[in-house]
Amino acid sequence: MEYRIREYMDQLFESAPRTQRAYELKIELTQNLIEKYYGLVGEGKDPEDAYNLTIMSIGDVRELFSQLEDDENGDPVPQPVYYPRPQPDHRRALVRTAAVMLFILSVLPPIVFGEMFGNSTLGGALGPIGMFTMIACGVGLLVYDKWAHPKDPQPVPGSVVKDFQQWQKQKLKKKHYIAAFNGAFWPLVLTLYFVISFGTGKWYITWVIFLIATAVDVVINTLLGAATNQNGK
Amino acid sequence: MSIASDMIRGHTDTIILAHLMSGDSYGYKINRSILEKTGGQYELKEATLYTAFRRLEQTGLISSYWGDENTGARRRYYSITPLGVQEYHRMLGEWEQSQRLIQTLITP
Repeated sequence: MEYRIREYMDQLFESAPRTQRAYELKIELTQNLIEKYYGLVGEGKDPEDAYNLTIMSIGDVRELFSQLEDDENGDPVPQPVYYPRPQPDHRRALVRTAAVMLFILSVLPPIVFGEMFGNSTLGGALGPIGMFTMIACGVGLLVYDKWAHPKDPQPVPGSVVKDFQQWQKQKLKKKHYIAAFNGAFWPLVLTLYFVISFGTGKWYITWVIFLIATAVDVVINTLLGAATNQNGK
Repeated sequence: MSIASDMIRGHTDTIILAHLMSGDSYGYKINRSILEKTGGQYELKEATLYTAFRRLEQTGLISSYWGDENTGARRRYYSITPLGVQEYHRMLGEWEQSQRLIQTLITP
């Protein structure tokens, strides 16, 4: 019977203007009618009678619909007409560029220190230390970037949608950890691949890094997913 | 009864505002409470009720929000704004005045 009410409302709203407000009104009205129907059934009415009473109680919707049309014709309805495009964020671009440059340049310390100190212990130690410090800084920057700029859902007119987005935003928050990790992981793997390949010269085998990385990626994503789900509850 | 209905319908806005004075509510609940208060004698048509909601919302006397029921069914709640409270008291005063006038006019 609930389905019949919904069906009736679908038909009724065919003549209504196709706007967000009309849609919200339909949802609201349908919800209240269904509640009314169950109220009547709860009072002991026959389902068929309850349905008819419910439908009868709607009354003349012409005024209601003409009101919706007025909204369309430029009445002061608080609804944004356009949405500002997100401006390119220069600071953000800078952070990302710096991170990528750090990755690329991280091969320099081993080369430079190797040249300067030859094969001494000092040169042997300073090279990797410099390299890993630079990679760590790069990863740090990328992680910070993901954290500082969570993906904002685009605003959509109407409060149903907005409410829904708010509810969804809470879910999205959980995904931040995962997004931050994903943002940094693959650049890091690529860097590692080149560093090791150049360092060892064993190009014929170093591609295995990608296979290992894929496995690690899956494992870590699963672990992060499980951890954030627990936090969310 | 139809004369009374017509008269009551002229005060739909005041009736809705009066209900919201005692807390936020939604369509079905308001109509149900009207039915109960009048002992089953009067009930607003849904179309009338929601037309009034839209009108009141546009003039800033009430505001609405969607409830956060966890089940699939979500209700749209209405609450009265400070402007609405002000307007309600004005309407009430107006009604009391016309009631007194009509009373004196229709008694011989």
